[in-house]
Parts: sequence; structure tokens; C-alpha cells
Amino acid sequence: MANIAMQRIRREFKEVVRSDEQSIKLELQEDNVLSLTGYITGPEKTPYEGGRFHVQITIPETYPFNPPIVKFTTKLWHPNISSQTGVICLDILKDQWAAAMTLRIVLLSLQALLSAAEPDDPQDAVVANQYKTKHSLFQQTARFWAQTFAGAPGPLNPDFQKKIDKFLEVAPRADRHTAIQQLSNFDWNIDKAIEDVYKSD
Amino acid sequence: MATSWLAWFLEALSKFLNFITFGKMLREEIEDTDLTVNVKFSKDLIIPVKISSDMTVQQIKDQLASELSIPQQELRIIFAGKELMDQTILQDFDVGDQTILHAVKQKQAQTSISIPEVNAETTCPLSDSIVKLQLTDSDRKTLGSSIDIRRVHFFVFCNDPCKQVCPGKLRVRCATCLQGTLLLQEDPQCWEDVLSKGRLKGKCQNDSCTGSDAEFFFKCAAHTPNTDNAAPLEHVKNNFQEVPCIACQDISQIVLVFPCEASHVICLECFLAYCLSRLNERKFVQTDLFGYTLACPVNCADSFIKDAHHFRVLGYEQYQRYQRFATEDFILKAGGVFCPRPGCGAGILLDETLSKCNKVTCSRIEGQGCGFVFCRDCLQGAHIGPCQEEDVAERDLTLAMQREDTAGGTLFMVDEDRASRSRWDKSSRITIKGTTKPCPKCRTPTERSGGCMHMACGRCDLEWCWICQAEWTRSCQGSHWFG
Ligand SMILES: [Zn+2]
Ligand SMILES: [Zn+2]
Ligand SMILES: [Zn+2]
Ligand SMILES: [Zn+2]
Ligand SMILES: [Zn+2]
Ligand SMILES: [Zn+2]
Ligand SMILES: [Zn+2]
Ligand SMILES: [Zn+2]
Repeated sequence: MANIAMQRIRREFKEVVRSDEQSIKLELQEDNVLSLTGYITGPEKTPYEGGRFHVQITIPETYPFNPPIVKFTTKLWHPNISSQTGVICLDILKDQWAAAMTLRIVLLSLQALLSAAEPDDPQDAVVANQYKTKHSLFQQTARFWAQTFAGAPGPLNPDFQKKIDKFLEVAPRADRHTAIQQLSNFDWNIDKAIEDVYKSD
Repeated sequence: MATSWLAWFLEALSKFLNFITFGKMLREEIEDTDLTVNVKFSKDLIIPVKISSDMTVQQIKDQLASELSIPQQELRIIFAGKELMDQTILQDFDVGDQTILHAVKQKQAQTSISIPEVNAETTCPLSDSIVKLQLTDSDRKTLGSSIDIRRVHFFVFCNDPCKQVCPGKLRVRCATCLQGTLLLQEDPQCWEDVLSKGRLKGKCQNDSCTGSDAEFFFKCAAHTPNTDNAAPLEHVKNNFQEVPCIACQDISQIVLVFPCEASHVICLECFLAYCLSRLNERKFVQTDLFGYTLACPVNCADSFIKDAHHFRVLGYEQYQRYQRFATEDFILKAGGVFCPRPGCGAGILLDETLSKCNKVTCSRIEGQGCGFVFCRDCLQGAHIGPCQEEDVAERDLTLAMQREDTAGGTLFMVDEDRASRSRWDKSSRITIKGTTKPCPKCRTPTERSGGCMHMACGRCDLEWCWICQAEWTRSCQGSHWFG
């Protein structure tokens, strides 16, 4: 069974390499055809623009009859992607998967998901809530994450920077990642973010 | 007139075969091994005739005429529902070693045979594939030395001895006297024509028979003799259009085409992988029309595999497992339970009229149940009053174990043997052994597909009743034709 999966992935791999699309890329992980890394460039006119996002792709033995297991390894602020684990909520990776789809389609769909979020079918409820109720703050946060974790260009939001520094002063055991996560979760309200850290201690 | 059209066609066909290279190759291959065909003149009179590579029907008639002392002009040779014209070269007409041809004495003047005019535009003759031949490839696999796979339009699952998908031969006979002496009025055009007995009409040329219903059946074409009928696989097709497999994207010669609107194509290797993965996940679907089956892997509407025989590609063991899952699924869907006694695991359909009572008996019918009387709710021994709380917890554990065992695919709480004889009974206490029962005469295991209780044994031709396990009678028809 696995050799159908492998044969198919080899073809799909070539397809992506040959297509020479600038915005998506696929790489094998240590010669293991069933485990790949995908790269997506953040789409224009989105907070993700200019960022480079990594996804980890694991091919089940039953591929293509079952979907690949895909998650972001680059941290990302998006309603349909868990900000903690990178797990993606995308119907084609679940029950809408069809054997005719390919990794190229998956990567392009992920890119499309970055352009058009579906906050009503969220993976991360906190992000989805911010997306719906404080959209401008959501966009600034998503941009900040893209700059910090995905190498998107441009100057970082100085207000956010200040709050992170202050957070780290008060909670010296926390690292920068935790600070960003906490502050983002609490709409950059530093008091609530710090209070929550102590509550969970 | 159809006959003249046919004659023209056959002539064109033999010319065609003479010209094209593979026709020559095919002929050369057979040259040194002359075939013997059996010409059946009556029930007891079968005349073996050695045929050389270029022997025509006319020459066979000459030979027969002298042996039977019947004027050559009065002899007619019938094969596969068609009369063979004199100039036909026999070996070009899909005739193999030990093939049976039927010879009849001309019944009446030929003009009185009522063959309606056939519209060549709308009729798709069985030999249509010859026209669609693709001769470009050199490296295509051939299945048997004498079969050119490129000419095959029908595929069967051959249980014995091939145990795999094989090219099939469609044959037709008179539904009344079961002899191949029927002249078809028209060619079958679709699977329904072939699969439903009597849908197409003809005229039996057997003197003592007035039959007019055609009965089609399939044989494995990979070997002779082939006494057993083989199960036709209507979704398996020759990939003339060279469509790549939806899963591996290779172009295979023999493929399965799903009945969805898009006609998605999958190669047989990938189809096997698909079936196995869905079987391991227990993701086959129980449907009213087609039983426990699978849809197209692209999730198309109306794409279910229509006949369980296709799942025989799973191989014997996995196919048994498939059948067991189908049975279990049926029982669970119908609200039944499995006997919780270790080593029993008989499936029990609950009588709905008894639904107020939670006492279930694993009854010893035909030595199948174990006799255990248990509570439907907690799966412990039957008791009066409400279930004990810890018993309910115990039940959840039992159910979880049953589920895990059946999903894991290695350990089965549900005993193999028991489950294959899973017992379900509505009001009539019918006992069904999975989906297979032995023919009451020759004991050949026969599968029931679909809801009809009217079985026909592929080996001994006995028509029998699934429920009575005896010869099919009018009363069977009246009381339990299907269900
Ligand atoms: Zn043919
Ligand atoms: Zn066979
Ligand atoms: Zn007859
Ligand atoms: Zn394939
Ligand atoms: Zn389809
Ligand atoms: Zn029992
Ligand atoms: Zn109980
Ligand atoms: Zn009966």
C-alpha cells in the first residue's frame, strides 16, 4: 500500500518542483518521501505578506485515499490555525479530501486560507473572536507575528514591543514567545495577560 | 437486413484482421497448435472438429454434412447468439480450444425467422471492441498466450483457479433449454441487457424448444475448460481511452471505472489499496441498493460500486473479513447486539415487539447460539430489576473491547466462525450464514448479492431458495421471493 503513496508523492513532488511557482515550495525531509516540508509565501495585501511559512506534511500509508497530515511549524496568528500548535482547520484536509487532490492543491489552498479566513469555523477560538470583534487589532497582531516568526519585512509595532518588554520584566521566567502569545490572547491588555500567567502558576 | 449487415461486418472483420500486424502475429502464434472445437448437434451428439488457422465455417459445414448426412446448405452454425456465415474464418471469431459451437438443421425457410431490422447507428455489437483497437503499444501485458487483452471488453472475477480479475467471455443461451442454440434478435447494449435474464429476446433453433428468452452468462477466458460461471465485474473495463489512475496517475490497461458522472478511473492495484484502507477503517457504507459498499474516492454522488463481487480483489481472507463486517454492520444498524459471552459473539437481531423487555436469549437454533440469556442494557446475565451501576460500566468496557478488536483487524472478540453464521431474526427467525450458503445439491458455496432469494448454482445449475435451502418452487416465489 505504501508504495502507491510513495509513487504518487514522487510524482506530486516533481509536479511542484517543475511548476516553478514562486509562492509555494516542497522539500523532502531526509530522503523520506512520506515526510515533507512545504513553504508558503504570505499572500499580498494580507498581514502575512512577505512572510515565509513552513508546514510539516506527513503522508499516511493510505494516501491518496486519506488526506496528508499538515500543520504549520511557523507560528501564525490566524482564526483557522492554532496559534499554539499550528494545527489547521481546513475541510479538504478532513472530510472533503478527495483522492484526486495533490500536495500542490493543499499548499495553494493553505495560501488561499491566509487570504480569506473563515472565522465561523475556527481552529483557534481566541483568534477568531479577536478577528470578529477587534479586526484592526487582529491585523496588527497577525502582522506582528508574521514579522517576528516568518521574517515578514517592515518595522515592528513599537507599542507591542514595549508591552512585551514590560511583560518580561514582570514575569522573568517567561520567554519572548510566551509573552507574545499571552499578550495576543488578551488583546494586548498587559494587566490581564500578566494576571493570567500568575493564575496558571 | 440485419443478417446481411452482419455478413458484411464479419467479412470486413476478417479482412481487417488479415491486414493488421497483430492479426498476423495472433495467427502465427496459434498456427502450430491447431484447436479442437466441439460441435454440438443435439443433446448427445457432440462432434469434435480439428480446425486449422484459416478454416472457414463453410469447411466445417462440409465436414459435418458428410458425418451427419445432412445437406450442407441445411446446416447452420450458431455461436454466442449469432449465426456464423460461411466465409468466416473460425479462429478470428474468439473461438478457443474446446469451445462449443452449436449446429442446427435449418428449421424453416430463413426468411421466416423474425429478426427485426437493426439500426446500425444505435446498436453497439459485442464485437465493437475490434473497431476500437489500439495497435500502437508494444509493451502491454497480455494475460494468456491466446488472448489479446486489447480485445477484451468484459472482465470477471475467476474464483477457481485464477483467483483474480480475468478477461471474461460473455455467452448467451436459450433460457428455456439452456442450450447455445438461441439466435438473438438484437445485441445487448448495456449491462442491464446482460444481467437481467429474459430482457433480450431471440429464437431458439433447437427443434424441440420454443424458447425466446436470452440468458447471458460469463466465463473466465484465461483457461479452458472452464466449467464454472464467473462473476462479471461491470465496473472493470479496458482502458481504451488511456485515462490515468486517479490515485497513482499511471495509465493501466485494465481499470475500474466508478459509476459517477465523471467516470473516475482507478487502476486495480490502487483499487485494492483503496478497499483495504477503507476496510481497515471500517468505512464501507451500508446502502439499501448495493449492500455494504464503497463510493468513488473523489466523493462523487451516485458512485457506489454496484456489486460486491468487485471486492473479491481483496483476496480470500480480506474478503471474508469484508463479509463479516457487512454482517456485523447490518446487525448493529438494525439495532441488534452481539452475544457478550466470550467465544460466542453471535449477532442477534432484537425482536422489536419485545423491546420493553431487556432480556435477550442467544438461542440455540441449528446449534448456533450458545444459549446465554443476558440483559440487553448491561450485557450481564439476565436479571430482574434495574441494572447494577458497575455492570453498566462493565458493559461499556465490553463494547469498547468489541469495537477495538474489530477495528484493529488482528484480534477479534467476535469469533470468526460464529460471526460468519451471525444469526439475525425478525419475526420469522431466519438464519443466515453471512452472505454465503452452500448449494443444496453440489455444496458449492454461493453468495447472495442483492435482495433476491432466488439462487442459481454456478456449478450444477440448480435453482434454489436461499431461505428454504432447497429447490426453488412457486411457493418460494409467492412467500419470499426477496426480502
Ligand atoms: Zn470482441
Ligand atoms: Zn480463471
Ligand atoms: Zn431452447
Ligand atoms: Zn493506480
Ligand atoms: Zn467519481
Ligand atoms: Zn451466544
Ligand atoms: Zn442489565
Ligand atoms: Zn423457499
